[in-house]
Amino acid sequence: MTKKVRSGMLQRAISLLRNVMHRAQDERELAEELDAHLSLAIEEKVRSGMKPEEAERAAHIELGGVEQVKELVRDARAGAWLDTLVRDCRFALRMSRKNPGFTAVVVLTLAFGIAANTTVLSWISATLLNPIPGVAHTSDLVTVMRGDRTDHPTPPFSYPDLRDLSERTQTFSGLLGYHDDYMSLTGAAKPERIYGALTTANYFDVLGVHPILGRAFLPEEGTLHAGAAVIVIGYAVWQYHFAGDPRIVGKTIQINRHPYTVVGVAPRDFTGCAPGLRTELWIPVSMDRDVWGFNRPDYRGIFWLNVLGKLRSGVTKNQAQAELNLLMRGIAERFPEDHRDSPNEISLDPLWRSPFGINGYLYKILPMLLGLAGVLLVLACANVASLLLVRSVGRRREIAIRLATGASRQRIIRQFLIEGLLLGLLGGTAAIVITVWTSRSLSAFFPPSTLPFTHDEHVDQRVLFVTIAVSILAAIISGVLPALRSSSLPVQSVLKEEATSVSLTLHKSRLLSGLVVAQISLSLVLLVCAGLFTRSLQKAQQSDPGFEASHLLLASYELSPAGYTRATGVAFNRQVIDRLSALPGVESVTLADFSPLSFSIHTDYLQIEGYVPQPHESMEISRAIVGPNYFRTLRTSVISGREFTEADTQDSQLVAVVNQAFVDRYLPGEDPIGKQVTDWGDRFTIVGVARNAKYRLLTYPAEPVIYLPMYQAYSPTHDTTIHLRTTGDPRTIASSVEETIHQLNPELPLFNVNPLSVTMQLGTLFGRVAATFAGSFGLLAMLLAAVGIYGVVAYSTRQRAREIGIRMALGAERGGIYRLVLGQGFRLTLAGLVVGTALAVAFTRLLKAQLFGVSETDPITFASVGLLLAVVALLACHIPARRATRVDPMVALRYE
Amino acid sequence: MTQEQTNILQGTLDLLILKTLRLGEMHGLGISRRIEQITQGTFSVKTGSLFPALRRMQEEGWIKSAWGESEANRKAKYYRLTKAGMRRLEVETAKWERIVLGISRTLEAS
Repeated sequence: MTKKVRSGMLQRAISLLRNVMHRAQDERELAEELDAHLSLAIEEKVRSGMKPEEAERAAHIELGGVEQVKELVRDARAGAWLDTLVRDCRFALRMSRKNPGFTAVVVLTLAFGIAANTTVLSWISATLLNPIPGVAHTSDLVTVMRGDRTDHPTPPFSYPDLRDLSERTQTFSGLLGYHDDYMSLTGAAKPERIYGALTTANYFDVLGVHPILGRAFLPEEGTLHAGAAVIVIGYAVWQYHFAGDPRIVGKTIQINRHPYTVVGVAPRDFTGCAPGLRTELWIPVSMDRDVWGFNRPDYRGIFWLNVLGKLRSGVTKNQAQAELNLLMRGIAERFPEDHRDSPNEISLDPLWRSPFGINGYLYKILPMLLGLAGVLLVLACANVASLLLVRSVGRRREIAIRLATGASRQRIIRQFLIEGLLLGLLGGTAAIVITVWTSRSLSAFFPPSTLPFTHDEHVDQRVLFVTIAVSILAAIISGVLPALRSSSLPVQSVLKEEATSVSLTLHKSRLLSGLVVAQISLSLVLLVCAGLFTRSLQKAQQSDPGFEASHLLLASYELSPAGYTRATGVAFNRQVIDRLSALPGVESVTLADFSPLSFSIHTDYLQIEGYVPQPHESMEISRAIVGPNYFRTLRTSVISGREFTEADTQDSQLVAVVNQAFVDRYLPGEDPIGKQVTDWGDRFTIVGVARNAKYRLLTYPAEPVIYLPMYQAYSPTHDTTIHLRTTGDPRTIASSVEETIHQLNPELPLFNVNPLSVTMQLGTLFGRVAATFAGSFGLLAMLLAAVGIYGVVAYSTRQRAREIGIRMALGAERGGIYRLVLGQGFRLTLAGLVVGTALAVAFTRLLKAQLFGVSETDPITFASVGLLLAVVALLACHIPARRATRVDPMVALRYE
Repeated sequence: MTQEQTNILQGTLDLLILKTLRLGEMHGLGISRRIEQITQGTFSVKTGSLFPALRRMQEEGWIKSAWGESEANRKAKYYRLTKAGMRRLEVETAKWERIVLGISRTLEAS
């Protein structure tokens, strides 16, 4: 039995091969055989007494159509499907070459629709789906947050708290902690700033990252006071600074002027576990004193570590969260003093929406952009479907003939789908080419910044796979309607009727009108979103930040790696201010430990005289350390009291300036001047109140800020940023600023020398990404809708040429004809606008959280977008309408 | 042509063709005339069913074809049974007899 089955299969395989190889000969033989069959039948009938003509007729009737029989035999052939597939593909290729214009429009339409999706997807893939490059499986990793979840959280854990949690947890196989900031690679001629992290010893083990050279940290290197001066360096550091030295392990390098033994080199892809930030040096937490001059691991009340945990298998996020909350509550009860100033509620987040790093922002806007891109794709499909439908009507005769000659309905549907698939795959290929380029566009939105942003958006396998799937899906969606429509033709009537009169039915086609209405309405939705994002960005950019950004040059340096102490640092800063003030073209100079709108402002835990915090209310408040004349230089006015001067030194009374939001929040209805604020044990007296200024994002409400004078609260471990108000273009003075600093200390690197107007772009980064992409999607959508309505109206007008000719022959005015055609377009547009407005109202509700200063149903946006779309649609209809008025009645009527 | 033609039962066309070719090689028209004749016009084989069936059976290896000349010196394609075809005929016959037996019993029972 098995043998028989096998031989049967073998037989069919041989037949298949023969059929494929000898197709032409096969066809010839089939034709000859049917020919011979017919002759025999005729002869037989003649012999039985029929007249030759009669016999021939009878034989043909009996046979029932040579072509139909041929088709049936072809279908019976082994591998018939393969055969017809090849023929359908060839036919599809021929059709697309015959109409290069049509093919180009369809392919481009699909390409843009698909590319919009794959571009956003390539970002999602590179950021949200690949949050830690170099770590393949991040699904069981979570970030551990303590306290309120804000958009700009500060590290939430102290080292003793983390150690206690690690020792007691049953739900995590490991909890790692890290603190990242700039370090300096010293020892060479010039210190080199490299972003690094102090980490717990289990850092690499929890992440599952194995150094490519040497080892990760040993458990004993994590214990406090172990004095483990060891370091793991990143691949890039190894390559660029140590020329890929294969014997680097065991050598000693200098970080912030202290020696460390290199114990390992991290893999090439791995750049730390803060999404979007590039970390390249790793040192055990116990070395905090050597690196940054603190002893933070010793204190339970100093929260400076970000924590990531690896869940044990089978443990859910909620179980782990419940357990950590229980443990944390226990810790807070045992050490109430250290945990009073902040909430102790624990929340866990998967890495794609980790509050630390860039994903905390991207996870809100990227899915939204993907949604918009999806709408654009649906619109593109509707557009292609309407174009294919219009064309299929032109092909009714061809299809009717094929149906009449024995092609089955499935065959016609398959033919259409294959043609659609070909167009879809061409579109997909074009989309990949576009995406390779656009996937890198996210980087273009990042201004020069002090933060070590890293983004590696590219077309990866995931994106490629989805592109192909989406192309096929788009092809099927847009090809299926025309296919079903065309394959159910009433063959007889189509063949009998005149081509022109058949097509007359098209302009009344509800399906086609529906597709046009869909296109107009979807493009309205996209344009409204684009309009809202653009207006929101405009509002943000026009909003008053509380300082004057123009004519301000920034430049930063870091003193502790260059060997400065607190005293020598203050002296150096004094010199910097004196020398720079003397430069021509400089109006005023000040220093600060941050710069506005660049995510660089620091926070401290404060105690405010006269304010009693709620239990566990977070008293973590933005704290700026600024030089004399800060408010004058930034043009942030001081409402009452005074600003800092050269006289506010270590020898004088400790003073502070607070902003209006600080007063409103903590000292409402009181005179703030003279009140005391305690920061790190020092009591500062408030001497002035400044108006609110925005230092994080323009779209955030003003938050409380305390300013402390640089000569009193200076620490050389933070970056110092020069703020220089110039009379002319700040760029022109950059080189003389660098020269001046160089004269003071030839080895001190000056970095991020940029006008504030440039660096503060970071504060509108996400708004610009959203506005730009929603904007391009909107414009594309409008273009597609215009092409769609033009195509349909132009086509139906051409088909109505005869009707129009008759109308004109009967005395219709050209104006009347114009209105007739335009009226058709106008009705479709109007319907589209009505449906679109309803859709947009529903859709924009989802954007509410991302908008600034604009309501999600902003009437100005809705009205202007509707008007714009109406004008564009009518312009698209204007062309065929004008053409219709030029129809020569005689030519149109003679056309039969 | 008689009025009481019946469409050939699904699946029996192969059996009829195999049985017909058991008598010797024959061309397409010959096969269909032979079936009409033997069944006394009960079955008529449509060209649109005959040729696809011949094609399929050829690809299964049950029959073979070759060009030849008809009685009136006309060119025609002749089909003949292969060994595999003989075996197939036996299988199909046995199957058919089982079906007939089954149906008759059912009819008698009621």
